[in-house]
Amino acid sequence: MDSDYIAFRGSLQQLLEKVESGEMVPKLQASHAPPCKFWTAFMVVNGIRHVAPVIHGPTGCTYGVANAYKLTSCEYRGVPLEPTTCTALDESNVVYGGEGKLVEAIKEVDDRYHPELIAVLSCCCSGIIGDDVETIARDAEKSVNAKVIAIRSEGFGGDFRSGFEDAFRAVMDLMEPPRQTREKTINILGARVGPTYTEWLEDLDEIKRLVSAIGVEINAVLCGGCTLDEIQRAREVKLNASWCYDWGQKLGDLMQERFGIPYSRTGQPYGLRATDEWVMGVAGPLGLEKSARELIRKETDQVRAELESLRRNLNGKTAIVEVAEFPGPIRALSLARMAEEFGARPVVINIHPYTIKERMPSIKFLLESGQNPEVVLTKGLFSLGTFRSSRRTELEIRQLVTNYDNAIFLGTPMRQPGIPQVNLTTRTGYPQYGFPGIRNIARLVESAVAHAARPRSKLFRQVLYGG
Amino acid sequence: MATEHEYLTRTAERCHDPYLRCALYGAAQTVLGINGCCVLAHAPQGCNMLVNSAFGWQDADYTETLTLCTKLCEDEIVHGGEELLTRTILEAREFNIPIMFILSACGPEIVGDDIVAVCEDIQDQVDFKLMPIQCAGFRGSQYDGTDIALEALLKNLVTDAGQKTANSVCLIAPHANANPTWMGDLEWVKNVLAQMGVQVTATVTHGTSLSDIEKVSTSEASLLLSFDCGQKAVDYLTTEFGIEQVCKDIPLPFGFGNTRRWLTELGERFGARDVADRLITEGEKRVVEVCRRKGLEQFFMHRAPAAIVTDATIGIPLVRFISEDLEMFPELICLRSSQEKAREILEKELKELGLSPRVIYGADVYQSKVALAESMPEVVFGSNIEKHGTEELDIPFILLIASPTMRFRMIDREYFGYTGMLNLIEFIQNDWRERYRSRQSRYQARW
Repeated sequence: MDSDYIAFRGSLQQLLEKVESGEMVPKLQASHAPPCKFWTAFMVVNGIRHVAPVIHGPTGCTYGVANAYKLTSCEYRGVPLEPTTCTALDESNVVYGGEGKLVEAIKEVDDRYHPELIAVLSCCCSGIIGDDVETIARDAEKSVNAKVIAIRSEGFGGDFRSGFEDAFRAVMDLMEPPRQTREKTINILGARVGPTYTEWLEDLDEIKRLVSAIGVEINAVLCGGCTLDEIQRAREVKLNASWCYDWGQKLGDLMQERFGIPYSRTGQPYGLRATDEWVMGVAGPLGLEKSARELIRKETDQVRAELESLRRNLNGKTAIVEVAEFPGPIRALSLARMAEEFGARPVVINIHPYTIKERMPSIKFLLESGQNPEVVLTKGLFSLGTFRSSRRTELEIRQLVTNYDNAIFLGTPMRQPGIPQVNLTTRTGYPQYGFPGIRNIARLVESAVAHAARPRSKLFRQVLYGG
Repeated sequence: MATEHEYLTRTAERCHDPYLRCALYGAAQTVLGINGCCVLAHAPQGCNMLVNSAFGWQDADYTETLTLCTKLCEDEIVHGGEELLTRTILEAREFNIPIMFILSACGPEIVGDDIVAVCEDIQDQVDFKLMPIQCAGFRGSQYDGTDIALEALLKNLVTDAGQKTANSVCLIAPHANANPTWMGDLEWVKNVLAQMGVQVTATVTHGTSLSDIEKVSTSEASLLLSFDCGQKAVDYLTTEFGIEQVCKDIPLPFGFGNTRRWLTELGERFGARDVADRLITEGEKRVVEVCRRKGLEQFFMHRAPAAIVTDATIGIPLVRFISEDLEMFPELICLRSSQEKAREILEKELKELGLSPRVIYGADVYQSKVALAESMPEVVFGSNIEKHGTEELDIPFILLIASPTMRFRMIDREYFGYTGMLNLIEFIQNDWRERYRSRQSRYQARW
């Protein structure tokens, strides 16, 4: 019986309506705790070179983000270790206020580190006691060499979306009136050099390769390793384009609204159709259709065999795409679209109502662009919050896939529902964007079909689900 | 040159690039060492990331330990979050848990949520014990948080049995140790005690049952396994239950000298001097034989100027180990904390060893980097932070022995004792070889 393990089955549109009307709220308050607004605001700031963050709060928030993003950027992204400072607020600052300490900290940071930019981030403590970080940043800028911005990023003040949106707003304030318009030049929006599990530099490299191949220059990747100078000159471009649509959308919309810079609203370039749309979305407004068409034709020819392989392995099948840590909701929807392109019927499983709520603008855009796949939410995943739900979800997914003939699973190797399973997390599987992405995904799908009968190991099973 | 000791208080510096997380993390790390417990962070959702980090550090297991969060938002900050806390605790009735620790973060403490009153009000409605711990981040560093949680555990859970177990000891704060596989050190201590016929009444905390915590008062002695925190807990046990602290004036057992002193004092205290002597003789012989047969790279160690940038727990015993056994000489010591007792021990050590390095207590990343740039040692005993943070200084050897580091995470390898000495030597030599590895080929092979 479906009702034993299915919390929702319907279209993405129907799930969105239920979330908007408040119908889909998990019972357990404690479940699902992604990063707060402060963490995601820091992720944006972390993608700017030679920035010195001054976190107006205690050491826990500071070391937390420094360890999670700065150090891992150094280990895996070739980024040098730059400081993550804080005012180390203590009990007496909470009682008497910490504004004076913040002013001194900004000066000290300027003296010590000589940064190009100082980003003041508030957190719960400074937010509640009412320290005015924005005014202090404005005033302090007069007495230091660096530019100073402030972001109200108290953890309680919003979900993770509001953190990066507010950070991008602050970054926009650094953009100076254009001294010139640079023809055939774009910004790429929505990047973070700070590593999140869903973000891969190989995909960014493929985007850079594509735009360069049609004669387009990139001013800045905002904020994926950009400099202050690139941010300041961001208004000189002819067009903005997205890397991760979810993260870039707000910045693109705001820059269009405030500065009149057009924004190419395309999703992630998974598969041939989305890659074509992405490239043409950039080429069209810049008058480069001809060279773009030529590039697409030439590169499509080079992946004919892989396109055929994808059609052969996906056509007529049900592509079950699970939203988990990887691929994450937006990549999952992009993968669903790609599967449909090659003749499969996509079913997106376990996109949680919390995720719908947090990603609302992107989900709405994808619906407007015609993506409305079937969505199934299992009860284990819906309840969330405990390890038990993970074991339960695995069992539920195993049961769910038996409802579909000829199904193939795209998602995380944390599941193995007993059907061909495409592991999209292998190191050699990147990039997944663009033409090399078609080649890589075709190879992964071939491998999934060839090895479908291989069992899950006892080691993996017991580590993942207990027992 | 006279020893230059710097004590940089928090107020002396306005901007701080910390090595340490906050009190919430330290408290979470401590209570997560209780078997089968549930930890509820009364906090916005971001603070739960700290609890998750603490979960990993305590080697907790998702199949056994639950972590929950009230995920406070603006509404609860404006109107108070006690109602939400109550609801979250009551929802957890479906879980089979012996105890729930409720940890409060900065937000709810500032707005005045009374987690103690909430727990008292609903204790009767749940089958598990509720223990509130006020450990907001602004209360201090992770070491302060560990002290707060240890105090709560000892004051609320330990019962006064009125009698002692002969030859028994409780182990305090093993988890506050920058050895990334500190459980190896703990295991070594337990093994040595077992050989001396000493019973461990409780480990506070790691894999500790509630019943073990309750009987801490029956211990004759306590052993503090950290120089960064825990002294308050040990002092409390002395005052409240007459539990004597052993090995309190000597560094932890790294290298020949420290291990010899440590084992000897334990052996004398527990009437097992013969066992201690045997362990020392056999251990020292084994280390020498292994190094002789497998090769000890004396060349880069002898008289190498060194810096130690770690926590006090491993930093202080490293001083004697690297200077007496490895023939290096420490020029710079940056410790992440500044407990008074730890300072006393370090200063005594330096005097005994005739060393006069520059010492910075309570160092942050900036202070360490500047000090390293000024002293430019040949060797740094540190972590990933020093590895990346001092790249442009071109210090030849950054030996990754302290947290944070991504290596040596799977198998618990002790630093204590004789196998620990070999472990450290192996890590040092691996890093040394890595430094000499060719980064580019001078010509291509033909096949």
